[in-house]
Order: sequence, then C-alpha cells, then structure tokens
Amino acid sequence: MSYALRRILVTFPLLLAVSLLVFALADALPGDAADWRFAKQPEAKEAWRKARGLDDPFLVRWGRYVAGFATRLDLDRSYQDDEPVGPELFRKLAATFELALCAMVLGVLVGLLVGILSAVFPRSPLDYLGSVLALGGISVPIFWLGMVLIVVAVKVLGFPFSTNRYDPALQERVADFRTHLYLLESLVRFRLDVLASCARNLLLPSLALSTIPMAVVTRMTRSAMLEEMGKDYATTARAKGLPARRVILKHVLRNALIPIVTATGLQFGQLMGGAVLTETVFSWPGLGRYIVASGVEARDTPVIAGGILLVATTFILVNLLVDLLYVLIDPRTRRAP
Amino acid sequence: MSRARRAFFRNRTAIAGLVMLGLVVLAAVAAPLAPYDPETRTDAFRSPPDADHWLGTDQNGFDVFSRVVFGARSALLVALAAVGFALAVGVPLGLVAGWYGGWVDGVISRVVDVMLAFPSVLLAVAIAAAFGGGSVRTVILAVGIVIAPPFVRQVRAAVLQVRSLDYVAAARALGANDARLLFRTILPNCIAPILVLATLNTGIAILDAAGLSFLGLGPPETYPDWGVMLTKARVYIQHDEQWMLLPPGLAISLTVLGFNLLGDGLRDAFDPRRRS
Repeated sequence: MSYALRRILVTFPLLLAVSLLVFALADALPGDAADWRFAKQPEAKEAWRKARGLDDPFLVRWGRYVAGFATRLDLDRSYQDDEPVGPELFRKLAATFELALCAMVLGVLVGLLVGILSAVFPRSPLDYLGSVLALGGISVPIFWLGMVLIVVAVKVLGFPFSTNRYDPALQERVADFRTHLYLLESLVRFRLDVLASCARNLLLPSLALSTIPMAVVTRMTRSAMLEEMGKDYATTARAKGLPARRVILKHVLRNALIPIVTATGLQFGQLMGGAVLTETVFSWPGLGRYIVASGVEARDTPVIAGGILLVATTFILVNLLVDLLYVLIDPRTRRAP
Repeated sequence: MSRARRAFFRNRTAIAGLVMLGLVVLAAVAAPLAPYDPETRTDAFRSPPDADHWLGTDQNGFDVFSRVVFGARSALLVALAAVGFALAVGVPLGLVAGWYGGWVDGVISRVVDVMLAFPSVLLAVAIAAAFGGGSVRTVILAVGIVIAPPFVRQVRAAVLQVRSLDYVAAARALGANDARLLFRTILPNCIAPILVLATLNTGIAILDAAGLSFLGLGPPETYPDWGVMLTKARVYIQHDEQWMLLPPGLAISLTVLGFNLLGDGLRDAFDPRRRS
C-alpha cells in the first residue's frame, strides 16, 4: 500500500479517538448551562433532558454526536437556547483560521529568511538577531506581547485598532461572500477595499501570534541549513564549480526544507489552539475566545465540545496535508519501506 | 559526565540562563523580605510607581513589586509540580512501552498520539475546565497532563535504543528482573535526554500556566501569580496604567528564557557532536 494512502487511512481512527476524548472532557465539566436555564423548575429540566436524549448512556450520546458531525457537520444544539451551535462555530473557525494563517505566513517568511542568513553568515549581527528571535519567540508570553504591542502601536504610534474583522461600513461589500474567510475571499474576488480593511484589522494580532512560528522556523532553518551545508554533496557541488548561491538555494535548502515543513505543519495546528490567548487580548472574534467565553464560562457543553473538535480536526487535517506534501518534497518517502 | 559538566560551564549562554534562574529562586526564597504583604490592601489604588510603592499598586491596592517577588514562588511551584507530574507519569509509561512493546506499547503510543493531536493550550483549557478550574491545583494538573506525552515518547525512544545493547543482556544474564533492568540498568542511560526535556518543559509549563491564569482558569484574583496579575492589566492599559503590565510579563519572560537557555546548554553539553 502506498505511503500516502496508508497515511490517509490512519487519520480516521485518530479523529474518532480525538472526538471521544473531547466528548468525555466536555461531559466531565461540573454543571452545565441547563442548571441555570431551569434554575427553579426541576421537572422542566427533566423533560428537557429526556427530549434531548441527555440521559442516554455516554457511548450512545457519543455515537450520535459523531454520526451527526460526520454526516451533516452537525455539532449539536446549545444548552442555553437549543439553537444549533455549528453555524456560529464555523464562522469563528474561519476567523481563527485566517488569523493563524497570516501569523504562519509572516512567521515562516521571516523565519526562513533570518534562518538561512544566520546559517550562511554565522556569528554576524544577523545571526545574533536570529538567536534573539528564536529565543524570544518561545520565552515571551504571547498574551503579554500582544498587550505590549497594543500599547506601542495604538497608544504611541496611533495605529487605528479595531476588534472587527472588517470595517462595518463595508457591510454591503461582503454581503455576497460565500464563506466567512473575508481576507481570502476578498483576495479571490479582488475586492481591494475589503481586503485592505481585513488586512489592517488582522495586522496586530497576527504580528503577535507570528512570533511563535517565527522562533521555531528560524531555529530549525538555521540548524538544518548548517547541517546540510556540512555534508559531502554540498562540498561536491561547490567543488565542481557551482556558485555558492546556487548550492545553498537549490541543493542545501531543498534538503533542509524537509524538517522545516514538518515543524511548520505542527506549528499551524498549535497556533489554531494557541490563538485563544491572542484572540482574548485583541478581542478577535475567533474560535478559541468563543470556546472560553461562551463555552467554558457559560458552561455550554456543546460549544466546548464542538469548538475543540473543530480545532483538533483542522489540526489533524493540516498535519495530514503536511505529510502528503512531504512526499512531494522528499522522493525517498514515495515508496513505503 | 565530567566532560559534559566542563562543556556546560564553558557555555556562556547556559551560565546566563543559570544566573537568571538564580535571581528567580532568590526572589522566591527571599520573598518575605518584600516591603509589603502581597495579599494585604494598602491605601493606594492603581497609583503609579513612587518611593513607597516601587512599581505602583494595582486595582486592589496591592503593591505590584511585592506581588512580582512573591509571584516567583507561584511560578516555580506550578512549573516544577507540573513537570514532576509529567515525569512521574511519562517516564514509567515510556519505559513500559519501549521495553515490553506489543499491545502495551500500542495502547500507550496511541493514547499519546491522540493527546498530541490537540493544540496544547486548548487541551489545557479543556482539562482545567473539566476539573472545575479556579485553583493552583487544577492548573498544575492540567499543565502536567498536557506536557506529559513528549516525556513518554522520549523515554520510549531511548529505551528502544538501548534495550538490545550488550550491557542490558549482561544484566539480564546476571539474573536481574524486569523492574531492576528498567530502573537500574536502562533508566540511568536515558537520563540526559529526559533532563533536557524536563528543563525545556519547565519553561513551557510556566507559559501554559500563565495562559490559563490569564484566561481566568487559574487561582483567584488576589493570589500573587504573574499570570493572574496580567488578567486585569489588560483592562488598565486602556487608561495608560502600564506599570501593571510590564513587571509580571518581564518576570515571566526572564524565567522562561532562563529555563530555555539552561535546557539548550544541557543539550549541547550532553551531545558530543554539538560541543564546539
């Protein structure tokens, strides 16, 4: 069986196990929103629990939940008003996805550039900048950095800061959008006013969030480049007269990219979840903040389960994509051993 | 070991990390010498830094400097307890998985895979919420569980590397039972990677714990904890009251940086290829 096919097949049991853990955690939450909703009417609560099938055994409820999600992308209904939680969760997921994507792109671009340059010019000022980036990004709490960024950008530099995803005045310009990925869709539709508005509102949060992948990518790139540059094939390529720039960009970088791509994929998933802190600081209407504010604080179990399941599913699918991408970059993995 | 020790002490950045951590430990030990009690109200509220309150006071009238100093205790307690938990759970599981293989390894490794399929911050939030949230104990437990999987993986890999070596066969030939083989023969040879992982994860644990506190899943507002202090700072930066924002964040960064530098230094010292 080909590596790619096998890799796709193992994803299903993993998703199933993840959904079980999510469901169990949400189930273990002490108390739920219904306790408040039916505070003085125990009979109404009993009837409601019966109607929602909440008294069924755990595995039955889990099976029903998974079946609903797998067949209709249904994520159950809120305990507060019995409305489906899916649509709002997917809208928030889109906001988080765009935030994580921008942070990722920013972090990877800067990280690759600084990483390559520090490997090519070791002990230069750029190399030291690289170490500061690499250590700072994993040492400074992201939510604190976000607040410092707000103080500097908004208070000192007067950058217009908004907690919306786009300028509300542009409401009509996005009315016909099919998805909630406003940045990406306005790019595809080439609607520059919406694009500019989205990009401006995304700038500060994604800048804060990008420091994490920036640190990881800088560090990985530098060490992977240094390791590959010391190998025989790089020396051979230089010896046969290839210019250094060509050896580094064509030969060394391509080999060094393999571990970097893996790290990048893992980072993206972590960012989707880690964004919860950034979203809270910048009041970004994303999934992480929604899970904490509307799920954990209001004890709305379906919001917590559905939200975490969406993030974990995205995480797993992105990692799958990265592993498949691997096959393209590294021909050696095309045939399973 | 002595060669590793010499390599470590020649590494200037590792020493810098050690000095930073020394400062944090000093603050934690000498905390009672701080000018004010961290949980007693003074008569100044949200007042800027002055001679009486070196770093100002917060919304409860607590002295910010004293709280930063006492916060070192909370940070070290939470991080060391969480890493201790991860070690206590992760090392035995990794040993068993690597040594016995088969279905035992299958079950343990799949559980680790599932846990690693979650973004760690979100998993910590879910676990803290499931345990009820709101205390130092839940933070320790949530962070400890979240950082445990890498320990299982690392120990398992280390066992796989040494289990078929001659010295293990020799120990078995001498009549050592499984427990003795695992803990006396194999474990000592896996100490280096575990120590590096534990050091780096202490920094991660501090960041994760601060994040949980910031999200309101940590100890109550009066508790002197750097993450808790930052929760309210978010509100007050809008009034240009930055003295509540900078000190706790710098304290967290310094501590985590210290652990990262120390961890890097240990890794380089243990790895002969990295010694330059």
